[in-house]
Amino acid sequence: MSLLSACDLTLSARLGRTRVDVLNDISFDLAPGEVLGIVGESGAGKSMIGRVISQMLPAGFNVRSGSLCFDGEDLLAASPGRHRELLGDRIAFIPQEPLSGLNPVLTIRDQFNEHLARLGVPRAERRQRAIAALASVQLPRPADLLDRYSFQLSGGMCQRVLIAMAFASNPALLVADEPTTALDVITQAHIVELIHSLNREHRTGIIFITHDLRLAARICDKLLVLYAGEVIESGPASAVFADPRHPYTRALQAANPPLTGPRRQLVALPEQMPGLQALAQVEGCRFGARCPIADAQCRSSQPTLREVGQGHTVRCSPGCEAGARRGDRPLLPQDVALPSTAPIILELGGVSKYYPGNRTWYGRRRAGVAAVKPFDLTIRAGEFVGVVGESGSGKSTLARLVMGLERPTTGSIVLEGKEVAVPGSVAWRHRVATTQMVFQDPQSALNPRRRVIDLLTQAFESTVIPQQGDRAARARELASETGLPADILSRYPHQLSGGQKQRVNIARALCMAPRLLVADEIVSGLDVSVQAQILNLLLRLREERNISILFISHDLSVVRYLCRRVLVMYRGDVVETGSTEDVFANPQHAYTKALLRAVPPDEAGQSWTPLQAEAVDDAA
Amino acid sequence: MLGSPRVVVGGGLVLLLLLTALLAPWLAPNDPNAQDLVNVLLPPAWATGGDPAFPLGTDNLGRCILSRLLYGARVASYVAITASFFAMLIGTALAVVAGYFRGWVDWTISRIVDVWMSFPPVILSLVLLLAFGAGVNRVVLGIVLVGWTRFCRVLRAEVLSLGRRDFVPAARLLGFSHLRIIGKEILPNALSLIVTLISLEMAVAVIVEAILSFTGVSVEADIPTWGVMIADGRTYIDEQPGALAFPALAIFLAVLGFNLLGDGLRRLFDPRLGLSRSQAT
Repeated sequence: MSLLSACDLTLSARLGRTRVDVLNDISFDLAPGEVLGIVGESGAGKSMIGRVISQMLPAGFNVRSGSLCFDGEDLLAASPGRHRELLGDRIAFIPQEPLSGLNPVLTIRDQFNEHLARLGVPRAERRQRAIAALASVQLPRPADLLDRYSFQLSGGMCQRVLIAMAFASNPALLVADEPTTALDVITQAHIVELIHSLNREHRTGIIFITHDLRLAARICDKLLVLYAGEVIESGPASAVFADPRHPYTRALQAANPPLTGPRRQLVALPEQMPGLQALAQVEGCRFGARCPIADAQCRSSQPTLREVGQGHTVRCSPGCEAGARRGDRPLLPQDVALPSTAPIILELGGVSKYYPGNRTWYGRRRAGVAAVKPFDLTIRAGEFVGVVGESGSGKSTLARLVMGLERPTTGSIVLEGKEVAVPGSVAWRHRVATTQMVFQDPQSALNPRRRVIDLLTQAFESTVIPQQGDRAARARELASETGLPADILSRYPHQLSGGQKQRVNIARALCMAPRLLVADEIVSGLDVSVQAQILNLLLRLREERNISILFISHDLSVVRYLCRRVLVMYRGDVVETGSTEDVFANPQHAYTKALLRAVPPDEAGQSWTPLQAEAVDDAA
Repeated sequence: MLGSPRVVVGGGLVLLLLLTALLAPWLAPNDPNAQDLVNVLLPPAWATGGDPAFPLGTDNLGRCILSRLLYGARVASYVAITASFFAMLIGTALAVVAGYFRGWVDWTISRIVDVWMSFPPVILSLVLLLAFGAGVNRVVLGIVLVGWTRFCRVLRAEVLSLGRRDFVPAARLLGFSHLRIIGKEILPNALSLIVTLISLEMAVAVIVEAILSFTGVSVEADIPTWGVMIADGRTYIDEQPGALAFPALAIFLAVLGFNLLGDGLRRLFDPRLGLSRSQAT
């Protein structure tokens, strides 16, 4: 008997006068103790499945047809009262953002008490139950934790508290919506391991919603790959991962740079998933417009799900699939060792940043924080250097130091032979012209009141580098160089897709033809298929312009794909540095080892043991 | 913009007020200050004993209520526009400086605003006016000196949050000066809030002006204003309620118009509210 079964579930949204099926004919079965992975990029509708279960649909969305049965009971027909009884008790949720999942003005104890009271636990037992629950998620000193507030805990600890609360009622079903996306790799490995062990212990059925195919393949029994609201492939996780049949699933795999083996060129799908508006107009296969092998039939008729193996189904015509065997992708050109005569662009000597503590009221300074401990770094022309580390390791401070937004406490930063100086000086002019920064979040980095054409050539308005010339012409040049369609020049940022925004963000930095780009997590907010486009763009820029990049990222496989050299940072310290291949193949520092092991492997056959007793803890 | 009933109704009322003010000399049937001591405290024209020459009746000195009402719109709209404009100018300038540069500048400006705001606003205007003496521009000055704090506090928060967006350091790295960043990056994003605040400040200005003229410290005696009319009509409320009711109604409509317009504009400009509306329809 299945725990949760969806049958031809269709969710539609009103868009003006038309209706769009946000989810189309979704069917799945989840047995007790099973883990079902729902994989898809943003906009695929994967979170909507969780929202249908919790009946927290946005205004204008409603289930048009199909059924959703939980333990033999029709969830869609259940009264609101009955539904509320089930939620939190038999059906538990883990949210994506652990920090916003907890109320910051209540202690952990208050929130546990509230939850346990709802479950009918008598007052006298609540404390014991809460401590037991916190201990079961391996939180140290659970009794002390009860009096803390969520903002005093790290993201990983908050997520553990939420998991403890979710499991306190011993639920039959757990819906985890991107539970690890906001966390570091090592913390992610811990959380995933924890969910897994609780799943085995309690035989809880789990729906694990994620954008990461590799991760899902590791921890799920079954996979459902979603594209534009449709299941395009489903089946046993091992089968789907080892032998993906749908061109989109293959593309997802091909767009993810591997952490081992030869470095092959990423194949990026063109454009991106149709949004709600576009979906209303799509005819035929919803993936058709981006499919490399679509034929005339795909554009006219909607393919149906068909079985291709033991429980393995795919929504693609047999004709299409025949020609779509995984072709070997071209290898990346071997990095020729840069001649040591290549000009040095950036040289950091003994640079550190130390934030002094606040003065207490009687004038004594509290202990300060070393954001970046002294280190050296040289970047030559045409070199991509990666910086990896978890959040808070000092990566972003390093970027701000190089850009002159922060003054180093010690050491010197030399750009093409000139010391980096304060804004406003002559040397600042030199800095502006030679180095630019690409910010992580284009949403925040692009002024919403400027049109794309003004954004791209924003540097023309600068008082520091007076530049005459035709702005429109330069904007068109930059757009074509970064693969932006020319018709978007007159649009505002909010009218662009996520990938287009990041391209505008990059193109703006290129306007004055800088020699060095500092890129701070520029692909971490993007979907894999869009990420691949951006990575290939950066490689092309190196070829065409011999540009250097200081590439800051938490994603090891992306750093391996792009960078020849890598710095590993841990709590403000550069703990390891060297050629990417050497560091990744033969890590020396315990932190690097843990970091590498925490990444789910690329190949289906490889085993994944993310957690071993290591000196590095994730509690910080 | 025309899809929002708040903006349409509010804008309509505001437009009506401004047109009345502009066209008062042509619209008014009588000289607003002409006394007709034979026809004192006449009821409106449609009531028994009314005179068609005085559509809304006359006050205790036989002055035409409608004409005074129409001329009163001039003072109301002049004060509303100039006071809110100058309050905006001072408030915005200080808010931008405080919110953009932060640190001790912000601390100083914020503390001044705190202290300033802890005076009861109308009493403060009254005291200021008693010090300055009567006159319409002094009324404006009194309202500006009270109203700028509201602008400053609300806008400072907005500028503070805009300043934390990455487009500010991005512009800095592209070589923009602070002045240019404020002008090209910060202000355009704060503009919608400024427009909204101006509209709300106008409503406040209309009320404060009415209160000041009611207490008799506002404009010169020969200028008709709604507050003066209410003060005059108060004594004869039993004989001629219209002398008090009509100016009160005028104030109500003007304030309602500015508030509706301001609230409508705020909703229109707020992307979060806008989004939820477009999804729901």
